[in-house]
Amino acid sequence: MTVDMRDAFPLAPEGGRIPHSTEPPTGPDSRPWILRFARTPDASQATVLPLAVYDPTLQMSVGLFDGPLPFMQTHSPTVPDGNVKNPPPLDEGTKD
Amino acid sequence: MPAVLVIAAHDDWPTDRVIKALTDGGAEVFRMDTSEFPQDLTLAGRIDARRGWAGQLATPHRTVDLADITAVYYRAPNPFDLPAGMSEPEKRFAAAQARAGLGGIITALNCRWVNHPSMMSRAEYKPLQLATARACGLAIPPTLLTNCSDAVRRFVDDLHGNVICKPVASPVLIEDDQLKTVYTHRVSVADIDDLRGIETTAHLFQGWVDKAYEVRLTVVGDRLLAAEVHAGSDTAHTDWRADYASLTYRTTEVPDDVAAGVRSYMRDLGLRFAALDFIVSPDGAWTFLEANPCGQWDWIEHATGLPIAQAIADELQGVPA
Repeated sequence: MTVDMRDAFPLAPEGGRIPHSTEPPTGPDSRPWILRFARTPDASQATVLPLAVYDPTLQMSVGLFDGPLPFMQTHSPTVPDGNVKNPPPLDEGTKD
Repeated sequence: MPAVLVIAAHDDWPTDRVIKALTDGGAEVFRMDTSEFPQDLTLAGRIDARRGWAGQLATPHRTVDLADITAVYYRAPNPFDLPAGMSEPEKRFAAAQARAGLGGIITALNCRWVNHPSMMSRAEYKPLQLATARACGLAIPPTLLTNCSDAVRRFVDDLHGNVICKPVASPVLIEDDQLKTVYTHRVSVADIDDLRGIETTAHLFQGWVDKAYEVRLTVVGDRLLAAEVHAGSDTAHTDWRADYASLTYRTTEVPDDVAAGVRSYMRDLGLRFAALDFIVSPDGAWTFLEANPCGQWDWIEHATGLPIAQAIADELQGVPA
């Protein structure tokens, strides 16, 4: 018998950090109570990120257009913008 | 040549800031994401009686010898990207081999870590955070973890109704094609009237602590970088993550007794980085809420000027605080 080693070398989960689903919420007897307070984040506070691509030589992202490097342009915390196709990283945590 | 190994997602831009600080200081850096393995990252590690793990990690763009790695910065990398054409059983098998092989050899490196992944994973658990903080002399709120509605009612009664609930793990989910999150919620009488669903999983309740403001304390090695977080709305007063636009920040100092408790906390959990959240009450008392071993820090650096990226780079290079 072996133990699960995921905690020893945690990676983002398969299928993305926040797996997509079209399943609707279930009823109050089967849904975790705290999810009554789940809400869609305020997308107006999300930041539009500059278009960027990873440069393996520099080992950091560079913008597709002239200007400062992407990391110099954005300092916003991870405010979800409601985009389920491209959710932001979690506020905190490694999570597996 | 001594090198710093950085393991992070390619689009983790705060990590770019650390890379810049490292390379500006003359450090040799090898950055990788675990998603590059096995297709764009090769591993050839050897160990024998004569020497410890040595051999190459290589991408098409650069190479590092395992024996030259003096420090590792580990920050939420992605899953392995396995070759197309594998069956699901083959993928599961290959992913487990990759985790034990690549992950095993990396976690065996005897060097400076920010943070060692197994320490970081363990330190993610809120119950352990609270127990450790308490043992280290930090004040914590009374807390209940339960799937029992009677226990919730008793807890709320004991605290005269001044109770919050919040997720004990990730607060975010996508369901019904919508992204949703759960922020800290002040529990009302009406909430307690209907507790159906409590029994479906673990729920966390905590006593409400009166706050003048909160503190985000970023700890990097022996460096304590503290910022007051002042809420500018009722929503942010309950959970500042719910209304970033209303927040204002300023740097602050950590009281000696809290600093001693925090250093003890970090030592006990084997961490060299964490982002800790405290409530500061109107009387000035600091109450520990949680400590994120892989917490966000870039926006705090930008808002306050606290040199967090440089602190991480210094810690990785063994520069004393």
